[in-house]
Amino acid sequence: MRTPVDLHADVAEVLVSEDAIQARVRELGARISDDYRGKNLTLVSVLKGSLPFMADLMRAIDVPVRIDLMEVSSYGGTTTESSGLVRILKDLSASIAGEHVLLVEDIIDTGLTLNYLIRYLRGKNPASLRICTLLDKPARRLVEIPVDYTGFSIEDRFVVGYGLDYGELYRNLRFVGVLRPEVYSAGS
Amino acid sequence: MSDPRSAGPVRSAPPAAPAPPPADPVVEGSPAFAHASEAELSRILDFYEVRWEYEPHVFPILWNTDGDVLESFAPDFYLPDLDLYVEMTTLRQKLVRKKNRKLRRLRELYPDVRIKLFYARDFQALMLKYGRLALAEELSGSSGQVTPDRPYEELLAGPLEPSADDGDPGDPPPDPATAAPGAPAPATRRRRRRRSPVARPPVAAEVTER
Repeated sequence: MRTPVDLHADVAEVLVSEDAIQARVRELGARISDDYRGKNLTLVSVLKGSLPFMADLMRAIDVPVRIDLMEVSSYGGTTTESSGLVRILKDLSASIAGEHVLLVEDIIDTGLTLNYLIRYLRGKNPASLRICTLLDKPARRLVEIPVDYTGFSIEDRFVVGYGLDYGELYRNLRFVGVLRPEVYSAGS
Repeated sequence: MSDPRSAGPVRSAPPAAPAPPPADPVVEGSPAFAHASEAELSRILDFYEVRWEYEPHVFPILWNTDGDVLESFAPDFYLPDLDLYVEMTTLRQKLVRKKNRKLRRLRELYPDVRIKLFYARDFQALMLKYGRLALAEELSGSSGQVTPDRPYEELLAGPLEPSADDGDPGDPPPDPATAAPGAPAPATRRRRRRRSPVARPPVAAEVTER
């Protein structure tokens, strides 16, 4: 049986408040609306972390927009059971050929996943491909990728909430917070 | 005399003499990593289909007046598609001063070379992201060193007592007058490096992207 977790008690600090997130999402939505007016825009969200951001962002955009969802596997260590390569777990449900695509991410740190996704999506011949992320951790970047829309540039700390998880929990927090180190130390 | 720096990085090559001892078995296509954290990073790069080369270039960073190379620096990884070098240094922060100095020198001499230094905290953050923090703690610092009798697989089972230095292939030869009694000579460590393959574990598990 799962041990009960006190979500709020496990958070040491609120890094980005709910109000700040909502205000920034509105700003991003307005910018994106201006930039894509008169164009066929498709928002592509990467599951699972970007779901809350996607849900809020699409409602802050006032031009016609399609949405689609993708899910990719993440590195998880040693086993003998899989191919050892990143895989598309859920592909796009419609063609993006000729569409203006905006990839919506929750957070960019190393850029490894994003680098893979960009290469994959470019192969589907969109009219354009841009990146929007709620959070950017530039200090951790390994693959330099130009980000077109950034919510917040944050320091190098492990964050949860507003879609971001630790051990699949904390996604439903309405803010972005920093976990108490003892939470993941105990979990390791 | 021409400026020796103009030659740029040189390819890594085994020492001309004495001849290296016979190599241990190496998994095909897998280099002999000096540290288990390097092997782990190679697996992450493989997972995300980022091409890499292990210590492909040596950058001279110090010469004597005759133009002989006194000190050089061989970054751990080169990512050709990104034109980026990555140097792993998973020692505790207070022990990385020497590597930081080398890095500064490299950047002064080769300003066009893009290099990213991965500190212990960076490696731990990466492992935390992938749900493998415990592994990061085991592999950080000298406890992650690979030796002939302690291959990668054994490192996963538990850490050794830490020591103070991880060495570097670009280190100058040891000065017997100043070497600490009982300390392993860099030349010995280098030979170990070449003889101690950290075979990349065959595959990686996949979990859902965060």
